[in-house]
Amino acid sequence: MGFDFDVIERSLPYLFRDGMTFTVTLTLLAMTGGIIFGTLLAMMRLSALKPVSLLAGGYVNLMRSIPLVLVIFWFFFLVPYIGAWLLRESQPVKVGAWLSAVITFTMFEAAYYCEIMRAGIQSIPRGQVWSGYALGLNYWQTMAQIVLPQAFRNMLPVLLTQTIILFQDTSLVYVISATDFLGAAAKIANRDYRLVEMYSFVAVVYFIISYALSLLVKRLQDRIAIIQ
Amino acid sequence: MISIKNVSKWYGSFQVLAECSTEVAKGEVVVVCGPSGSGKSTLIKCVNALEPFQKGEVVVDGISVGDPKTDLPKLRSRVGMVFQHFELFPHMTVTQNLTLGQIKVLGRTEQEARDKGLKLLDRVGLLAHKDKYPGQLSGGQQQRVAIARALSMDPIAMLFDEPTSALDPEMINEVLDVMVQLAREGMTMMVVTHEMGFARKVAHRVIFMDAGRIVEDDSKEQFFGTPRSERAQLFLSKILHH
Repeated sequence: MGFDFDVIERSLPYLFRDGMTFTVTLTLLAMTGGIIFGTLLAMMRLSALKPVSLLAGGYVNLMRSIPLVLVIFWFFFLVPYIGAWLLRESQPVKVGAWLSAVITFTMFEAAYYCEIMRAGIQSIPRGQVWSGYALGLNYWQTMAQIVLPQAFRNMLPVLLTQTIILFQDTSLVYVISATDFLGAAAKIANRDYRLVEMYSFVAVVYFIISYALSLLVKRLQDRIAIIQ
Repeated sequence: MISIKNVSKWYGSFQVLAECSTEVAKGEVVVVCGPSGSGKSTLIKCVNALEPFQKGEVVVDGISVGDPKTDLPKLRSRVGMVFQHFELFPHMTVTQNLTLGQIKVLGRTEQEARDKGLKLLDRVGLLAHKDKYPGQLSGGQQQRVAIARALSMDPIAMLFDEPTSALDPEMINEVLDVMVQLAREGMTMMVVTHEMGFARKVAHRVIFMDAGRIVEDDSKEQFFGTPRSERAQLFLSKILHH
């Protein structure tokens, strides 16, 4: 049995217009949401109020201790029932693979972004916070103007590296039959029975994009450093 | 202006401040000195509540610092503070450093804040550096910017926490000159420093601390004439005779 690589060319529009668009959009949304939510979690973890830091710590440890695939699964099947319960409806609420994936990845990645931002916030000398307070800024202003911009800049390479991992992890949405890049390829592969060709191609594309991004992060690292 | 009454503070079971009491009147310049670990920096940070204290009372311009109902940001905005390690914001230009507090805390417009900031920058002789980042300036220049930043808030008093300790020797004088000028203009100042030359020149009073206690609280003449405690005499003999 020979290989037929034409199948790739024939399915390119479907693979990229449908599949890759899903993957990239999901990555970008989960990154944005995850960094915002993760930063809030990091601030909570570092809070002097014990219940607040325990709550955030518990959430982060829970998310980091269960496989992503399980979270995707549970979320997809459970949320319709939780939604129905919250809205007091008798039927499960329709959420759909797309929305379910966006919410799951945002919440899951937030736990990892949280740990990165926590390290970033802790790397800012205490004197910077004192200096903000001494000017009369309140906690939120000091965070927004002084601590977070510096923490974010210091941690940008690590945040982007985590995003590359997220980009690869989004392929797990195949378990809820979403048509991401891998999902689209899998559908073609099964339809035309061209598994080797399609899965090889998918691997090469993931490699090229991820590796190119990691090179970009390396170059960025030198350019954004704050002059100390 | 600043009144400290029986302030005590502990880190766990370790007592860092023990029953400290003193007053700084309006227009007075008070120098706080003492060996390292004696609690001078902690005491000065209690004045604008950067360090909480467990016992006693600090009153600044009639407002109790330790009272939970006190609007701390507002109180702090009226007391300027200069730190040992400058603590300029490294991700902002010199001008942005000077305007941030004025805009966010005092509600001045960008233009007002800029005018005020640049006027003060000119006063400390650094107008040419207005668009640079702190990391591009020398230590002495950074500390002068930090003083200008504190002054831009129109403070009623200024706190200095070892402002020259982190500087190379040749940069100490440029910072002290700005401080001397400020003192001569009648600014209320509380200064933690080992610069006895500065103390001799402009201080009204000198406080000597040791092991969390205020051991001496004298007029300048008394302090340099005949310090009463043995500990203070030993300290002075160590830092003055080189």
